[in-house]
Amino acid sequence: MNTKRRSVLIDQPMQRRHRPDYILVLLSLVLLSIGLIVVYAISPGLSAQKGVEANYYASKQIIAVALGLVAFFITAQLPLKSLRTIQKPLIVLAVVASVLVQLFGQEVNGASRWLQIGGISFQAVELIKFALLIWMASFLTQRHKEGELGSQAKTIKPMLIAVGICSFVVAVVQSDLGSAGVIVAMMGSMAFVAGLPMKKVLMFAAIIALGTFLAIASSPYRRERLAIFMNPEQDCQNVGYQACQALSAVGSGGLFGKGIGGSVQAYGYLPESANDSIFAIFAEMSGFLGTSVLIGLFIALFSRLKAIIEKAPDTRTRLLVTGILAWLSTQALINIGAMIGLLPLKGITLPFVSYGGTSIIFVTAAIGLVFNASRYTTYGVNSMALTEGKRYDDPADRRGNRRTHYATVSRRP
Amino acid sequence: MQPPDKLLFTPVQRIRIWYFLLLFVCSVFVVRLFYLQVIRHDYYKSAALTSQLKQYEIPAERGIIEVQNGKERVPIVLNEMRYTLVADPKMIKDPAKAARLIRETIGGDAGEYETKMKLDTRYSILAKKLSRQQKEDVSRLEIPGVITAEAPQRTYPQGTLAAQLLGFVDDEGQGRYGLEQALNDKLKGQNGQLKAITDARGVPLAANDENILKEPEHGEGIVLTIDLGMQQQLEDILKQGVEHAKSNSGGAIIMDARTGGIKAVANYPTYNPAEFFRVESKDISVFENKIVSSPLEVGSVMKPLTMAAALDQGVVNRNSSFHDQGYFKIDGATITNVEESGGSGQRSLNDILQLSLNTGATWLLMQMGGGEINEQARTAWHDYMVNHYRLGKPTGVEQGYEGAGTIPDPSEGYGLNIRFANSAFGQGMTATPLQMAAAISSVVNGGTYYRPHLVERTIAADGRETVKKPEVVSPNVVSSKASKDLKEIMEYAFSKNYRAYGGMPKLRNEFSIGGKTGTAEIANPEGGYYTDRYNGLFMGFVGGNEVEYVIVVRVDEPKIAGYAGTKAAGPIFVSIVNTLIDNFGVTPKK
Repeated sequence: MNTKRRSVLIDQPMQRRHRPDYILVLLSLVLLSIGLIVVYAISPGLSAQKGVEANYYASKQIIAVALGLVAFFITAQLPLKSLRTIQKPLIVLAVVASVLVQLFGQEVNGASRWLQIGGISFQAVELIKFALLIWMASFLTQRHKEGELGSQAKTIKPMLIAVGICSFVVAVVQSDLGSAGVIVAMMGSMAFVAGLPMKKVLMFAAIIALGTFLAIASSPYRRERLAIFMNPEQDCQNVGYQACQALSAVGSGGLFGKGIGGSVQAYGYLPESANDSIFAIFAEMSGFLGTSVLIGLFIALFSRLKAIIEKAPDTRTRLLVTGILAWLSTQALINIGAMIGLLPLKGITLPFVSYGGTSIIFVTAAIGLVFNASRYTTYGVNSMALTEGKRYDDPADRRGNRRTHYATVSRRP
Repeated sequence: MQPPDKLLFTPVQRIRIWYFLLLFVCSVFVVRLFYLQVIRHDYYKSAALTSQLKQYEIPAERGIIEVQNGKERVPIVLNEMRYTLVADPKMIKDPAKAARLIRETIGGDAGEYETKMKLDTRYSILAKKLSRQQKEDVSRLEIPGVITAEAPQRTYPQGTLAAQLLGFVDDEGQGRYGLEQALNDKLKGQNGQLKAITDARGVPLAANDENILKEPEHGEGIVLTIDLGMQQQLEDILKQGVEHAKSNSGGAIIMDARTGGIKAVANYPTYNPAEFFRVESKDISVFENKIVSSPLEVGSVMKPLTMAAALDQGVVNRNSSFHDQGYFKIDGATITNVEESGGSGQRSLNDILQLSLNTGATWLLMQMGGGEINEQARTAWHDYMVNHYRLGKPTGVEQGYEGAGTIPDPSEGYGLNIRFANSAFGQGMTATPLQMAAAISSVVNGGTYYRPHLVERTIAADGRETVKKPEVVSPNVVSSKASKDLKEIMEYAFSKNYRAYGGMPKLRNEFSIGGKTGTAEIANPEGGYYTDRYNGLFMGFVGGNEVEYVIVVRVDEPKIAGYAGTKAAGPIFVSIVNTLIDNFGVTPKK
């Protein structure tokens, strides 16, 4: 027992638990609440358009958040090591879900992304992202340990193949370029932070750029969207409709917004008011003040993740949280960027805020993992020292306060 | 382990670089948001309002129309809510399926629906006049892009009754023909306006600063002078009479001589105003109230007016007579009488009307000129026609397309003397039956010209009723002496001739009944007159000590044997008189 424990300690020296990052949880809850409030406020309008009961959307969102909290508690308690064991089943599940979506999926705007299971619609891409995140973290950790991170054959090739397959499935088969972008950003960021040689990083970037270009050029639907993005107001009545309505919603919010119940654009003008376009509705309700606060909240959340990455106890944790940060941040930026006319429209959700159970459950599950990891961060000792050949407990890294640095964990993540 | 020196940046440095990029993008976003939400706020606010703020007409309710029924009032035109089915083709994803569903629900042609749902417009009318049930059935289909709009519609509890008099309301809500056209503005009211922020389907959202509401002013209700029973009887009588006379069309009017109020107006053939759209375009003349709109050469029914004018001027009196040689030569033309008039002889005023002497009418005109037809005669007669009897100009009755008729000018043109001689017996001039009814009414009621009218009272939207008093246009059309004389002469003519009309086995002496036939020649557009076509007219009155109703009947080109006035119009007049006496309480003489 003792020897086993010791070996574990050598392998993963920071296994001592300390107080986790409650601010992270608090920020997540605030973001979830903003989403709930917006969905609640526009629920009557959405329901009227669809002819369902007035609180249909609000009550579904409450259920989604409740399920999200359950997911959070599960992943927050899950031993991080066990991720390795669920990695394979997750990949199998993701593949099955992709196939099912292709066979029975609901088609929306020429893209089949949704799977109806009973009364619940499930977005397969969320599972794909999550499975890929877990796999990439282990894969890169493995290669890192082996010192093969820069290896063409052992690292770059399998990674490119994985990215290629996943983005092909998501972007081409499911026609979801936004999510493909998130996947690429997530994997790229993980590889980058893992320590991929800069040459490879640049090569990687070039491949992504080429892939994006091909993806856009290959589909008339995307070419059209890009053209509209360049000049949305030219065709406000047809293809540019959503972009124009989104800008109208954001712009008409003004400095202080129209108030929580004040959104008009949600009443059938702005498509996907509750999901993809929820940022624009929020902007209409809360004005520049509200949008700045929302972006501030996201930055605050991301800064917590960044701090955890910096002080991650081991490579796996570091890469896992990096992947989550990259996922959440690129997804948020792609979503918001489209709403404010800086990026072409992509059908992806704003993490935490958008209506939709699948998105919320996976996002909260990811936050659970981060919360979990925040219990094991190191202080004082730069955990990255490991990669620089230093021992984790080199006294030189101590502050010289003669205390063990584990004793002061209570105030930090 | 990888040697550290091979790494360009450490992982911590890398995540910091990464995070810095993220912060940079976020700050770009915030700047962009400031630009959109603060600097460009006004632009986007108005852009949003352009689509959100919609202006609606709140339709005013069209006034209903009622008629008299004894002492009661009954509605003859009401409103009913119907629905129009409208598609927004841009919102319809599967027109074929939508068309099929609609056909299964309300019937119709699926192909036609589909075509209409593929039009390049955002407002395509699929079907009109749906009932409430049909509307609810279609709404239940919940086809996105298919909506129903309220479209109030006129209904007619009395069916086709008084169709031409009422007119109809077209799909644009405009009154066409008859009362609906003449009183369109009053009936229609003033539409209200709602400016409101709406959802994308156009449903106004709750109270908002931008909302403006102007309540509609509903149209006025109208109570007509028309008597339901008289109208029904008149239409029946007219139909039988016209068919009996083998004519294609005809009309009749009953007017209250004491007020100018029109009690009944019938036209045959008729149509159903609720289904005005079924009338084919070649038949649209069926919409016209020809009693009012269609002037014609009235023929001999003019003679009482000529005589009244002569009596009133004092150029003849009750006992005047003249030697009738059977013809007059004027301006090279010859005026003759019909064969049955009995040749030459001494003729009294009674004879002139009883025998319908054209020479007699000419003689009366001559008396106005001191023995010959001259400028003085023409001017005097013209003055009576235009200023006393108010011919040649619309009466102002509340009807669309009122005709004016034409009266020859006394000093302009050629052949004036023969033209005026003709006009003395109703040729070479035109008038509507309504004008004739109003004129004879003023002659036999003691000399007061009441404006012919249909509106007895109006009912404002708030229920306030305004009774419309009969309008005296001229109090002394003819003197009361002339009036009394002429009334007697017309009674005499009727008493001598009524057997020829049939329908009254014995003269109803307890009542005052007078009348004059007219068999009017019809001008041929190519010149001259048709030799084989006549219009039959009858102009008369019924009452007791005072005249109560005047009646004018016209039967167009009857094919029945005998004089058109006598054989076609006369029987209709007698039937009307009988009905008025028997069913509508004409007061007997005391």
